[in-house]
Order: sequence, then C-alpha cells, then structure tokens
Amino acid sequence: MVAITTVSTPTPTPAPAARGPMAEAWGIFRRSPAAMLGLVILILVTLMTVAGPFLYPVDAFEIVWAPLTPPGQEANIPLGTDNLGRDTLAGLIAGGRATLAVGFAAAAITMVIGVVIGSYAGFYGGGVDNLLMRFTEFFQVLPPLLFAMVVVTLFQPTLVNVALAIGVVSWPQTARLTRSEFRRIRTLEYVSAMRAIGASNSHVIWRVILPNALPPLIVSATLTIGMAILFEAGLSFLGLSDPNVMSWGLMIGSGRQYLLDAWWVVTLPGLMIFLTVLGVSLVGDGLNDAFNPRMRER
Amino acid sequence: MFNRVLRQLLYAAALILAVLVLNFLLIQLAPGDPAQVIAGEMGGANEEVMAAIRQQYGLDKPLLTQLGLYLGRALQGDLGMSYFYNRPVTELILSRLGPTLLLVAAALGFAMIVGTRLGLLAARNPRGLSSAAVTVLALVGYSAPVFWTGLMLVILFAAKIPLFPVAGMIDVVKQGGPLMRALDIAHHLVLPALTLGLVYLAQYSRLTRASMLEVLGADYIRTARAKGVSERRVLNHHAFRNALLPVVTVAGMQFGAIISGAVLVETVFSWPGLGTLAFQSILARDYPTVLGILFFSTLIVIIANLLTDFVSRLLDPRLAGGR
Amino acid sequence: MTFRTGLTRRTLLAGAAALAALSAPLSLAAQEVQTGGTLVLASLQKPRHLNAAVQSGIATAVPAAQIFATLLRYGETFEPEPYLAESWEYSDDAKTLTLKLRSGATFHDGEPITSEDVIWSLGVTKENHPFSTMLEPIESMEAPDPQTVVINLREPHPALLLALSGPLTPILPKHVFDDGQDITSNPKNNLPVGSGPFKVTQFEPGQHIILERHDGFFLEGRPYLDRIVIRQYQDANSGVLAMESGEAQMFPLLDATRLIRRLEGAGTMVVTDQGYAGIGPINWLAFNTKNPALSDVRVRQAIAYAIDRDFVANALHAGLSKPAIEPVVQNSPFFTENVERYDFDLDKANALLAEAGFGEGGQPLTLRIDFIPDNEEQQRAVAEYVKAALAKVGIEVSVRSSPDFPTWAQRIASHDFDMTMDQVFNWGDPVIGVNRTYLCSNIRPGVIWSNTQSYCNEEVDRLLNEAGVEPDLARRQELYAAAFGQITQDAPIHFINEVPYHTVYLQAVQNPPVSIWGTMGPLDEVWLQQ
Repeated sequence: MVAITTVSTPTPTPAPAARGPMAEAWGIFRRSPAAMLGLVILILVTLMTVAGPFLYPVDAFEIVWAPLTPPGQEANIPLGTDNLGRDTLAGLIAGGRATLAVGFAAAAITMVIGVVIGSYAGFYGGGVDNLLMRFTEFFQVLPPLLFAMVVVTLFQPTLVNVALAIGVVSWPQTARLTRSEFRRIRTLEYVSAMRAIGASNSHVIWRVILPNALPPLIVSATLTIGMAILFEAGLSFLGLSDPNVMSWGLMIGSGRQYLLDAWWVVTLPGLMIFLTVLGVSLVGDGLNDAFNPRMRER
Repeated sequence: MFNRVLRQLLYAAALILAVLVLNFLLIQLAPGDPAQVIAGEMGGANEEVMAAIRQQYGLDKPLLTQLGLYLGRALQGDLGMSYFYNRPVTELILSRLGPTLLLVAAALGFAMIVGTRLGLLAARNPRGLSSAAVTVLALVGYSAPVFWTGLMLVILFAAKIPLFPVAGMIDVVKQGGPLMRALDIAHHLVLPALTLGLVYLAQYSRLTRASMLEVLGADYIRTARAKGVSERRVLNHHAFRNALLPVVTVAGMQFGAIISGAVLVETVFSWPGLGTLAFQSILARDYPTVLGILFFSTLIVIIANLLTDFVSRLLDPRLAGGR
Repeated sequence: MTFRTGLTRRTLLAGAAALAALSAPLSLAAQEVQTGGTLVLASLQKPRHLNAAVQSGIATAVPAAQIFATLLRYGETFEPEPYLAESWEYSDDAKTLTLKLRSGATFHDGEPITSEDVIWSLGVTKENHPFSTMLEPIESMEAPDPQTVVINLREPHPALLLALSGPLTPILPKHVFDDGQDITSNPKNNLPVGSGPFKVTQFEPGQHIILERHDGFFLEGRPYLDRIVIRQYQDANSGVLAMESGEAQMFPLLDATRLIRRLEGAGTMVVTDQGYAGIGPINWLAFNTKNPALSDVRVRQAIAYAIDRDFVANALHAGLSKPAIEPVVQNSPFFTENVERYDFDLDKANALLAEAGFGEGGQPLTLRIDFIPDNEEQQRAVAEYVKAALAKVGIEVSVRSSPDFPTWAQRIASHDFDMTMDQVFNWGDPVIGVNRTYLCSNIRPGVIWSNTQSYCNEEVDRLLNEAGVEPDLARRQELYAAAFGQITQDAPIHFINEVPYHTVYLQAVQNPPVSIWGTMGPLDEVWLQQ
C-alpha cells in the first residue's frame, strides 16, 4: 500500500513563467490516453455516487428482497441482494460516497501534516530538520495498517476516526518529499532574492517555495487518495469501519462469509474499489508525466 | 565504518524505546476497564475477582510506576500476559512470528525475482508489447485491494480448481518426516504468497523497467558497449546490478507496508501468523497482545531497514567503495 | 482420505445422503467397531485455556470434555449414566449424595483418581466457575475412603446430577493443580494433566489442539480413536471447505444455515441437529424494562406480536432454526406448551400499542436495538429484521452495532440499552442457565448474562426458587411451567428461535456425538470406518 510511482523530482524549475506550468501540464496530460481514461473512470465513479441516489433511490440499509438474491434474477434489483436482503446496487452507490469521502479526507489530512512538517524541516534545516526527520522516521517504522488498526480500535470506528488514522500513518512519505523539494528550491536564486528583500520566513515558505514545489506534491496527493481508499477498504474488511455507514470495504467484510454461495456480494464492491484506485493511479501517472516532460520519454 | 554501524544501532535502540513508550501510552488510552474485559473473557466475575485481576496485572499502581515497570519488563522481553489467551504475549508472538516471516519472505522473493525479470524484459524494448504489459500489470497489481485478490483466488481455487489449499499452513494430521512437512507448508504457502507477492511484483517490474532505462543511458554502459561487451552481458550484468538497487531500497522502505499487507492476506487464508493473531486480539480487545504485535512488527521493520542499508552498500559499488 | 471433492461423486451420492441423513443419528453400532485413526474436528471457537473448572463456554468445553472425566455422563435423554462414578445414591431427604468411584481409574500421569481429587475439583469449581448456582448448595464433602465421595447439601438440589456431567465439573488431579498458584491463571491450564479418554499433547492458540488416546483410560477398550485433532478455522467458510476436501471429518456447532444446507447437498456427509439439548441455545430479543416505554408490558407484548418467527426461521435461517417460545428449548424436560406464544399478529400489536398510547395517532416511539457482533445470521440479520418489522407498527428502531464482543457486553451489562438481541444457553438445568435471567436478586449491573432486563416479579422468583429445591421431577415440571407461563405473560424477553447448531460429519464417522452434551461430552465411543 505504498504509492508505486516514486514521484520523480522535476528538473530545476525556472522562476514562475508567464504561461503557467499548470496549463502546460494539462496540455501534456490531455494527450495521454491512459491519463484521460483514468479521468473518465473517476468522473463516472463520482457521478455514480453523487447522482446515483436520485436515479436509483433505494435505501442501502433497507431489506428489500430475499437474502442473497443473485444479480439479474429480479428485474427491479439488477445487482441482487446481500445476506440481509439489502440491495447491492444501492449499497455500491451509498458505499462509494463513504469510501470516496474517507479517501479524500484522509489524503487531505496526510497532505496537511506531511507538507507542514516537510516544509519546516526542508526550509530551516539544521536542528529543526534533524528533530522533525527523527519524528518522521519514528512514524515510518510503525507498520501503517497495524498502527491504524490500533488507533481505530482504541477510538471507536467512526468514519472520521478512520480518516484520521489513515492520515496519521501515511504522512511521513509526503513529509520527506516536501522536505527534499524545499531543500532544492530553497537554494534557487529567486528565493535568495526574496529573502534579500526582507520577506518573512513564513512568506517565503508558503508564498514562494510551496507554489513551486506543488507539482510533485499534487502527484503525491493524487496517489495518496488511491492509497487511502485501499486503506479504508482494508480496515473495513477487518471489521474496523463504521458499521452504520455503508462503504465498499464494509460490503466486502460482511459479505465475506457468503463468498462460497454468493460471489457478487464480495466481487462487485471489490471491483468498484479496483476501478476507482485504477482511475486515481492513471491520473496520478498522467500528472507525473505532465509535470516532468523529460520522464515521459520512457 | 564501525562508527557508522554503532551509530545506526544506537539510533535503532532509541526508536525501539520510543515505540515502547508509545505502546504504553496507547494502553492507557484504551477505553473501558481492562479488568472488566478479562472478567468478561472468564465468563463473568464479581467485584473481588475484578480487584484480584487488577492487582495481578498491576492495574492498581500509579501511572509512572506502571510505565517504569512496563519498560523494565519489556526490555527483558516480557510484554505482559494476554488477557485472552492466558499466556505471555511474547511467547504467543514468537510462536506466530515464523509463519509471518515465511510468508513475507516468500512473497518478497517471488516479487523480486519475477518482478525484476519482467522489468528487464520490458526494458529491452521500451515501446513494445511486453513493456505495455508490464505497465498494465503494475497498475492492476497496485489498484486491486490485496484481500480482494485473495478472496478471488479463494473462490477460484476452493471450488473450481482444488489444486492448492486455501486455509491454514500445515495439515497437522499428515504424517511424515521433515521433508514432507516442508512440502506441505510450501503447498499451503502458494496462494497467500502469490496474493501478497502480486502487489509488489507489479511495483518491482515497473521500478526495474524505469531504472534499467535510466541506467542504460548512463556513461559506463555506453563505455561497456563501445568496448564490445555483448548486449546480453551489458543488460544482465552491468545494468541489472544497478537496476536492482532501487528495488532493494524500495523493498526495505516498504517493509512496514508489506507486513500490513500480510495482516490482510493472513486473515483471508487463515495463515497462522501475526496478522491473524492481531485480528483475533483486536476482536477480543486483548490490548497487551495487540500492542505486543505492533511492537514486534516495528522491531522487524527497524531490522529490515538496517539490513537494507547493508545490502544496498553491497550492491552499490559507489557507496561501498566510497567509504 | 478418499473424500476428495468431486462433482460427479457428489451428484451420485446425493440420493444416498438424503436417506443417511434420516437414519444416521439413530443408527447404533450394529457393525464391528474398528479402532484407531484420527478424527479431525473443525472448530470456530477459540478457547482461552483448557480448564473447564474455571472457564465456562463452548470453546473450552469441547476439548475439556475429552481431557477430563466427570462423575456422571448423559446419553440422548436427560437420564444420568455412570462415568467415573459407577453408582450414586441420594439420601431420603435428598440432601446427601453418595457416589462410588470406579477403582483403578488413573490420571494421564498414571496417578490414581481418588475421592480426594474429586472433592478438591468440585471445591475449585464451586469457588471459581462463573455458574455460581451450579454447586452453591454444597455445604460440605467427605471422603470416607478413596473410592467414596459424600456430598452434603444445605437443601435439595436436583440440578446437581446434571452439574456433575458434560463440561461443567471436570475432575482435576489435585497433586498437579494444588500448587499454590491462582487456578484461574495457572499456566498448567494450557496443557493440563487430565482424567478423561484423551490427553492433550499440543495446544496452539488459534490453530489446533491435538488430543491423543489415553491408554490407561478407566473404561475398558475406550476410546476407540487414536487421536482427535481440533482444528480452528477463522470462519465458517474455511471450515466448510475443509469438510468438503476431507481435511476435517466433523464440524460441530455450525450455525451458518446456508453452509449447513450446502454440506447437506454435498452427498458425502450427514447433518444432524442432535447433540445440543444440553446447552439449549436460544436466540432472543431482550427488553430493558427500565426504559420508560418498555416498562409498559403492553408495549413489550405489542413488539412480540409484531415479529414473525416464521420469517426469521425460513427467510433468514434457510428453514433450519426452530422457533423458541419460552425460557427453555423444546428438548428440555421442562419444556411446556402452556405459555403465551405471541404468534405473529399485527392487529393485536397495533391494539396493544394504541392502548399504551403509542402507534398510529399516539406518541411517536423510537427505540434502539443492539446485537452481538460477528454473528451475521443469528444476531445482526434478526436485529435488522426487527427494525423492519417494527416499522410496520409505527415504531422507529435504530440498530446500534458494537465493534467487538466486549463493547456489546459492556453496554448490556451496564444496562445501557433499550432492546438487544442476545444468545443465552440453558446449560441443561434451569437452575444453571435459566434462573439468572429472571431472578430479582440477579439484577447485577456490570455482569453480562445476569438479569440485565431489570425484570422483577416476586411470584416468578418464588416459583423458580421452589422448583430449584424440589426433588420430585413431576412437581418440578409443574412449578417451571407456572413460572414460564408468568414470564411469557410479562414478556421481559421475546423468545425468537433456537440457535440452529448442527453437527456435520462424513459418513465414515460412526457413533456420532448425539448425547445431550454432543461434542461437549466425551467422544470415547466415536469410531471411524476404514
């Protein structure tokens, strides 16, 4: 559950150019079929969870039909029912909302902690860097899923706690990436120039260096979303997710007992997770290529 | 060199101490009264029994005293008694450590050998079909939840093709010498190791491909080629050795994640390792065991990091020669 | 093992199995007994340790009944049979029980089993076992000679004979366990020296328990098997796959009805629901009578009428669970038809609710329901069904999940609930497993499976207490019938179904465990057809 794309450090960025690097990157991104496929998948999944409840207004927790009705048997229950007789399609729609929400929230938490710690360490260097990096390393040696399991067990499995737990165990990578970016950019001329004219440290950190360090961080954030979704699924599978909120992982976890007789209760939500994470990875890869034209040659 | 090793060991020791303190704090945060939990496991108890339990587990002492006692005992390898299994946590964990390490080693070995070979194959022809296949495989391997892949394999192999057992590590009933036992374990190991290995196989093939492409453009390879070294030798010897380095480094860095993956895979295949133990202990709210597992697996990660560092130095002529 | 999974074989044998399923539990060993072999038992339970003297529950009970002998044993009826005690006699006032032990019986370490060991074991159980009522009336015990035990009771205690059997009062070696350590946490509980037909040689928590034949067992020629392996599986699916592949030969205590149906259809196996009369497991809905709305008996009765037991049995439990209508199971000697059944009747439910001021046009009523986690079919599915069923009579129910068993237990034990699904076992005699739920004196906050309903009816208390000390069976039955009639009237609990525990075994298994204790009694008579 670690991002596969080791985010590559871009070639030294010149001072902010007139035509934004974002626009340029989008140009490259648009021309990659894989990246666009990923984007289309993500848009479809998002649409399904947002518009789904209006197009298919069935309560995911309501018992609608006989338990474990296979897909296609009843015309009005296209994807069958689970072990309690609840509609699988409604579960996928509602579950997607929770899963995506946790994925985004956890990624946001990861980014906030990671960027703050990484930027201070990278900017100040010396003792601050040393202290913060030791702290980061401490978190890096804790096996993430086990640590998250412990945290969720101790503080009750609510969606918020699950997102927090994922964030708390995932940030070290982001911190390291941010730190190396900051260390690189810190020495560039325009930064020295800003400092020479008396800009405050916080101004330099947040207004000068961070915008220039953004491209790899955006790629990292994208991949973190995918990782967080896998993470949430893993925790739910182990029974450590909010039992009152439908999520894809919860569907897999509770359907597991019926695996031998009812393939769909596990296969379908798993497929949704797979597609979503695939979409996120493709977009992440595309962004990586877009921000690093040199790497694209491979 | 010696100083470096010493410094690393001291640092590792400090990390271990920090993990122990964290463990202790987490125990304190645990909601509910551990005495109540233990009493519940025994099938109910009255106030006197609860008081006796508190005394037995040292729950009636002040916090700092408890921390001191905990650290002292932990450093002697005593992580307390399991509430649920009524035996020392360390003993329980040690009996489960072997299976987990076996699973992780098998999965990593499989992923590294097959992954690097695939990556090499793809790197020979960066725009060819095999290259595209490696990219697709990598994406699929990364995007599918590992426990889901496992469950799909269970569906496939449980009923449809009963070639491999889908649960457990050994058939305790089978008689036979050590060789038979080893074969039996290997037979049980196939599916779990495959499931866990696929995730990393995907990553390593991609990583190998990328670093091979980078290395192939490097000066010393060009020199080797110019000197008339055969293309096969260039690829397999000069380039591959260097391309292996990032794979080893990443594998070392990911060790915590691999153990996490093992937790899920073990749960799917009833593999009797630390993962299933963690899962059961969490269900039973057996905090000493859960935290003991967290501690031990952290220890494994720290050791793995030290080893990775060592191996990287062996593999990388620049690092090894430079010091 | 010849029973590899094979589709052709399965279909061929399907017909034969249907026949076998009907006749097998009753077929006694007409053939010549074959000795030897290993029986692999699939198990989902994870015992903490193996000393049943200080640990209740089915997880410890199954291995403990093999490792330890008890004084008495039971067959398929509630009639005591000799075991370690070859004879026993009550005094005329039923306050003294004298038992004669078999001579020549030895523990697994070869030491003789004497009346000293018996008295010490009963003492330990009396002091430490969670079922405190089981041996509570024992005033004193004497050992006039190594083969005789005299138990003096404060008052007649008809539950005593049952308490001396199955997993309840194992006979421990005093010379091993009386070592000054706290018996509840003694490390010897993990691999105890026992007195029963099998000795334990390996206990790997969460993996397996290996039990080897005790050659010096006091019943000549028994046990028939060389070895029993209790293999623990993570979930019912894995256990079922092990049965299908022939890796395991018997799967007791299986309550996942879809899997029972699956194995039944496999053709190579026999399925029986016998062997569970002793534990008498009931799945029920308990009310917290301190809840303002639920303190009104009419509301509780209305809820009972609104729940359709047939739907639970047929739709949720694949037709395999029997309805439960009173505090004991149908196989209990104290079962009575003479109770208020609350058969599904929405009109009565609505009328009662209206009387109580709720329902349509009345005050809105919102309740919460809890359930024991990790038991989808019996607990969670029924809780979700209760929610749906009560919505039809205008009661809004929210289902509260607990992340794990201890959390649920803590909530219920501290009376922090409105209604909860629960599973409670009879344990053979009402004094042991039934009274605890209803006696006013057993309203003990903090203790799970006590009277967490806070139900109190002095008439019920009087009847239950009187029945507990009544030596005459017929009179006892009358008293319990009266008590159960009153309890169902008061409806502190709505009984839903008996837990559909089944034992599945391969056809090669002979003399399957169908006594009242099933696999929680000794498996010394089981043998495998080669």
